[in-house]
Amino acid sequence: MSAIELIDVTKTYAGTAAPAVQNLNLCLEKGAIISLLGPSGCGKSTTLRLIAGFERAEKGTIVLDGKIVSDENTWIPPEKRGVGMVFQDYALFPHLDVFNNIGFGYRGKDLKERVREVIALVNLQGYEKRYPGELSGGQQQRVALARALARRPVVVLLDEPFSNLDADLRGLMRREVSRIIKAAGATAVLVTHDQKDALAISDRIVVINGGVVEQVGTPREIYQFPETSFVATFVGQANILDGFLDGNGHVVTAIGLFPCRHTHGLPPGSPVKISVRPDSLELAKEGEIKGVIAETVYGGDTVEAVLELRDNQFRPCRLLVHLHPEEKIKVGEKASFKVLPDFVAVIKR
Amino acid sequence: MIINISIMLLQLIKEAFTLLMKRKGNVFTLALTILLAAALFFGGCGGNQTRQALPAGDAAAPGDTAALPETGRLVVYSSRNEKFVQSLLDKFEADTGIAVEALHGANPMQLVEEAQNVRADILISNDFGALGYLDRQGLLQGANPRGIESIPPLFRADDNAYFALSLRARGLIYNKDLISYAAMPKSNEDLFEARWAEVPGGYAITRGGNAGMIGHVSALRYQWGDEKTAAWIAAISTNAAGIYEGHGDIRKAVGRGEHAFGLVNNYYFHQQLMEPKHNNVGFIYLDQGEGQMGAIANAAGVGLVRGGPNPGSALVFLEWLLLPENQVMFVGESLELLINSQYGAAYPPAVAPHVVDFKDLKIQEMSLKELGNYFEDTKALIEASGLALTLK
Amino acid sequence: MSIPIIYVILRSLFAGAERWLRLLDQRIPELLWNTLSLTAAVTVFTVVVGVALAWIVSRTDIPGRKAWQWLLALPLVIPPYIGAATYISALGRSGPVRELWQGSALLVNLFGDYPLNLISFWGVFFVLSLFTFPYVYLVAGASLRKMNRNYEEAARSLGLNAWQIFWKVTLPFLRPAMGAGAVLVSLYVLSDFGAVTMLRYVTFTAAIYFQRAGFDTASASVLSLVLMLLTLAVLGIESLTGKKSKYYQTAGTYREPATVNLGRWKLPALFFVGCVFFFSVLLPLGILAYWGSLGVRMGALDQRFFAFAFNSLKVSSFAALLCMLSAMPVIYLKSRYPSAISSMIDRLAYAGYALPGVIVALGFIFVFNNHLPVLYRTFYMIALAFVVRFLPQAMQAGEASLSLISPRIDEAARSLGCPPWQVMFKVILPNMLPGALAGGALVFVSSLKELPVSLMLRPPGFDTLAVRVYFEAQEAAYHLAAPAALLLIFVSLIPLRYLLSKY
Repeated sequence: MSAIELIDVTKTYAGTAAPAVQNLNLCLEKGAIISLLGPSGCGKSTTLRLIAGFERAEKGTIVLDGKIVSDENTWIPPEKRGVGMVFQDYALFPHLDVFNNIGFGYRGKDLKERVREVIALVNLQGYEKRYPGELSGGQQQRVALARALARRPVVVLLDEPFSNLDADLRGLMRREVSRIIKAAGATAVLVTHDQKDALAISDRIVVINGGVVEQVGTPREIYQFPETSFVATFVGQANILDGFLDGNGHVVTAIGLFPCRHTHGLPPGSPVKISVRPDSLELAKEGEIKGVIAETVYGGDTVEAVLELRDNQFRPCRLLVHLHPEEKIKVGEKASFKVLPDFVAVIKR
Repeated sequence: MIINISIMLLQLIKEAFTLLMKRKGNVFTLALTILLAAALFFGGCGGNQTRQALPAGDAAAPGDTAALPETGRLVVYSSRNEKFVQSLLDKFEADTGIAVEALHGANPMQLVEEAQNVRADILISNDFGALGYLDRQGLLQGANPRGIESIPPLFRADDNAYFALSLRARGLIYNKDLISYAAMPKSNEDLFEARWAEVPGGYAITRGGNAGMIGHVSALRYQWGDEKTAAWIAAISTNAAGIYEGHGDIRKAVGRGEHAFGLVNNYYFHQQLMEPKHNNVGFIYLDQGEGQMGAIANAAGVGLVRGGPNPGSALVFLEWLLLPENQVMFVGESLELLINSQYGAAYPPAVAPHVVDFKDLKIQEMSLKELGNYFEDTKALIEASGLALTLK
Repeated sequence: MSIPIIYVILRSLFAGAERWLRLLDQRIPELLWNTLSLTAAVTVFTVVVGVALAWIVSRTDIPGRKAWQWLLALPLVIPPYIGAATYISALGRSGPVRELWQGSALLVNLFGDYPLNLISFWGVFFVLSLFTFPYVYLVAGASLRKMNRNYEEAARSLGLNAWQIFWKVTLPFLRPAMGAGAVLVSLYVLSDFGAVTMLRYVTFTAAIYFQRAGFDTASASVLSLVLMLLTLAVLGIESLTGKKSKYYQTAGTYREPATVNLGRWKLPALFFVGCVFFFSVLLPLGILAYWGSLGVRMGALDQRFFAFAFNSLKVSSFAALLCMLSAMPVIYLKSRYPSAISSMIDRLAYAGYALPGVIVALGFIFVFNNHLPVLYRTFYMIALAFVVRFLPQAMQAGEASLSLISPRIDEAARSLGCPPWQVMFKVILPNMLPGALAGGALVFVSSLKELPVSLMLRPPGFDTLAVRVYFEAQEAAYHLAAPAALLLIFVSLIPLRYLLSKY
C-alpha cells in the first residue's frame, strides 16, 4: 500500500488564472524519502500543503495511508491527518522550550519517554530547557524534525528544509535528516528547488514544473536518463540536440553520431531529442566533434567551456563541455571531443 | 474615509513593541497582568449601580418621607460654584449617611436633554430663572418639605417645586484707584453711553450665556421690552473692553486694575474684599435713584427633579437644607445674601461693613418667579444682539 | 463604532439653514482663522525645532548625547493642559513672576508693564509647541538613525561640505519623517481641548465644548462637522504627499552615520537643547513640584483625592481591558483572514483615533441618551468612548507581536493535532499576550490623561484626576491640581520608558 496517493489533483489559488497544480497524479510508497523537485512557483510547495491539509484541492482525491482525506465530498482537517510537518522557517513555538515544543502534539501517556527518545534520535540531549531563540539554525531544524516525528506520523513533510542553512551545515544536515528519518522508519516527502538536496537525500525524486509532473525516478535515473528537456536542463546541465535513431544504438544528429543506450524502445528512424551531459564529452585528439573553444569558466574541480562548431549544413552551433582542470586550453584554440555513452539519453519531449 | 495613512507615531510604538516582544517575562508584563486583573474586578463591581440602602439618619427623617423608597443615594446636579456646594454636600453626607453623587458645572438644560432618561434628583442653580423655566417645562415636581414655610412665597414656586435660599443683586464692581464713585455709571440706562469705553482699562462683562447675564437681560426685557434691551446688549458688547467666561475673572481683573469696572453680582464684590491684595474696590447698586427701576435681583436655590432615581433621598435633602443652620451653610463662602437674614449669616470682618441688606435696597419689582418665562427667549435675544453666548 | 460620528453628522445636517447661515457668517470664519493659524504656526515651529533637535542629538558630538536622546522625549508625558496650567500659575496675570516684575520699579521703568500675556495667540502657540515638538523629534530622530552613512559619504565624495550635506542630502531624506511629524502635530493641535481652553483661546474644539456646555447642541454639531472636515483635510494632505516622497534605502549592510564635530558651535547647540528641555520639562515639573508639596502640606491628598484616583484607575483600566479584548480578534482576523470587512474595521478604528475627543463625546451623548439609556451617564460610557479613541494604540502593539508569529506557526500547531480554537489558545494568545498587554498599558495611560471625553461624559460623582486637574486649575487652586497632575505624569512615564528603549 502506498503512503500517499494523489489522483488528478488540481488547485487554483483565488485571484490567479493558471492552476498552481494541474491534474497531478502521484503515488508514493511507504518508508521512502521522496523529494518534490522543481523551480520556485512550480507547484511543489502547493502539493505539500495539499497533502498536509493547509490548502484544499478543487478537484481530485488525496489518499493518506489508505484513507481518503480530501476529495469532492471528504475533508479531513490538518489536525486529524496524522501528518508531521517541518517548515522552511521551522515555525518553532517561541513561548515553549525544546522539550515542550517536541511534546506539543503528543497525546500518549508516555509523553516524557517519547520526547526523550526523539531528542536522543536527533542528538539534542541537554538542550531540553532551551528556547528556540537560543538555538542555532541546525539545532532548530533538529527540534522541528523531532517535533514532527514525535507523534509517529503517517508521513513527514519537509518544506525546503535546508534553504536556511549555511553551505557547510547543509551537507551535514542532509546526512543527518536522512539518517534520522531512516532511523525513525518514517516516510518523508520533502520539497526543494535544489537538485543537490534532492539527489543526495532521496530514494525517489519527483520533478515538477508548471504544476505538472515531469518525471519520477531514482536520483540516478533522473540524472542519467532525463525524460524531458526540462528535467535534463534543471537537474544538472545538458546540451539538447535533435536527431533520429539509426537502429544500432546511435542517434544521428547534425553534428555527428551519438551513442545512446536509453532509447525507450523506439523504432529506428524515429526523430528524437537527446540530452548530452557536458561530462559525457571528453577531450580526445581523435574525437569526432571538432570546434573552437569560445569561452571558459574556471570552477576549481572542473572547467566549464563552450565549444563553437558548425553542423553539417554549416550552421553555427554551441556545446557546453566540461574540461579537466589540468587541461590548459585557451580561448580560440581548436579542440576535438569524443562522446561517452553513459550520459546521453533520449528524451521524450 | 481616507484613513489609510500610516500614522507614524503609532508606527514607532509598533516598532518599539516589536523589540519589547522579543524579551521574555519582564516585570512590566507581570505588573500589567495584575493591573488588568484588577480592571476586570472593578469592571465587575462597577456595574453594581444600586447599592444597599444605608440607614437614613433618624433625626432627619420626618414622617412624610417614610412612604418613599430610601436608596441611600442622592444625585445632585449643580450649576453653582463647586467650592460652595461641595462642603454643603459633604455636611449632608455626614449628617444623614446618604451618599451624594454630584455633577458640578452642570447646565440646567441637561435636565431637558435627559427628560426621557432622568438621572438627577436635585438641581442646585444660581439662576432662579432656570429653575422657573424647568418647572414650566414640567421637569420639576412639587413637594411639601417640612420647613418650607420659612421661605417667603415670593421666593418659591406655588407647589414648592423649587425655592430660593440666597439673593444677589446686579451691579458694578469698580477699582477705586482708577475711578471715583462720582465718575461711575449709576444705572442700566447709563451703560448705553459710549464714553464708558474711554475710562482707564474700560469695563468688563461676562459672555452672554452666563446665568447672571441671562437673568439680568430677562429683567431688562420685563422692564423695557425687547427692542430697547437688544440695543442695550449691543451697546455693552460694543463698549466693553473685556468679555469674560465668569464673574470670578471679572472681579480679579478689576481688582488688579486691568479694568475700571465690571458688571457682576454683588457677592463678587464681597469676595474681592477678602483678597489679601488688590482689594481696593467698591460697588454700585444700579438704578437706586428716584423713579429708577431698582437693582436687578436674582436668587440661587434648589429644584426637585421630576422622576429622579432617589425621590426619598431628595426629600430628605430638601428638609435638611431648610434647617436654619443649613440655609446659612448654603450661602457659605459665596458671601451672598441669605433670604432669611435673621438666621444670621456670618460675614468676615472685611466684608461685613459693606454688606447691604436687601431691605435697604431698592429692588426691581418684577417677581423672580417670572424670570423663568423669559429664560429661553432671552438667550436667543442676547445672541441676536451681538453678544456671543460662549467665549470667542 | 462609527455610529456616534454619523449621529453628529446627521445632527449637524438637520441643524437648519438659519443656524448654518448664522454660524457660517459669524462663527465659522473666526474659528477657522483661530484654529488654522494656530495649527499652522505650531506645526511649522515644531517641525523646525524637532528636526533641529533630532539632528543635534543624533548626529553631532554634543556632550551628553545619549542622555539628551531620551530626555527630549519627556515632554510627551506632560499633557498640554497640565503644561498650560503650570505656565499660567507661574507666568500668568496672578502669577508670582508678574508680581515680581510689577513690584520692581527698575523693570517697569525700563521695559514698561509686565510684557508676557499667556492668554493670547502667542501664549497658546508657545505652550502647545513645547509639548508637541517630541512628535516631530521622535519621528525625525528615528529616521536619522536609520539613514545609511553611504549617502552622506557619496555626497562628500562629490565635493559637498557638512553644511551642504545637511541641506542637500539629510534634509530631503527627512522629508517623509517631517511630513509625518507635521501631520501628528497638526492633528494634535486640531483636537487639543485642554490647553486652549485653559489659555482661553477659542478653537473649534473649545467652541464645540462651550456650545455643548450651553446646550446649543445643534450648533455644536455644525462646528463638529467643520472640524471633521479639517481633520480629513490634514489626513488627505498627508496621504497625497506621503505617496510622492517615499525613499528606499539601498540594500546592503547598514553603517552608522558619522557624527559631525560641532566645534565652536558646541556651546550654542548645548544652550539650545538645554533651553528646550528647561522650558518643556524642568520648569513645568519644578512648578508642579512646588504646588504639589504646598498642596500635600495643605492636605490635598484627602479622601476625595483618592476617590478621584480610584475613578481614574477604574475607567482607564476598564478601557484598556476592552481595547485589548476587542483588538486581539480584530488584528488576528486582519492578519490571518484578511477581508474587506476586517480592513474596514481597521480603518474605522483609525478614524476614531484621528477625531477630536469633543466630537466623540458629543456623538456618545446623542447615542446613549436616546438609544442606550441603561449605559447613559455610567462610567461604561466613558470607557467605551476611550475605546473609540484609543483602540488603534492597542491594535498597533498587538499587531507588532502578531507579526512576529508567522502563519507557519499556526499551521505547525494544526499539523500537530490542534483544531483552530486550540491553536488560538495554546499558541497565538501566549505569544500575543505581551504585545496586547503593552497595548493595554498604552491605552491605560492615554485614558488616564484624557480630558474632553471625561469632562463631557462623566456621570455625577465620577470626576477623574484629569477632570479635577482641569477644574482646580480653572479655579486657580493650583495646589489642589498639582498632586493629581504629578500622579498622571508619573504613571505616563512607565510606557514611555519602554517606547524609548528602542531609540
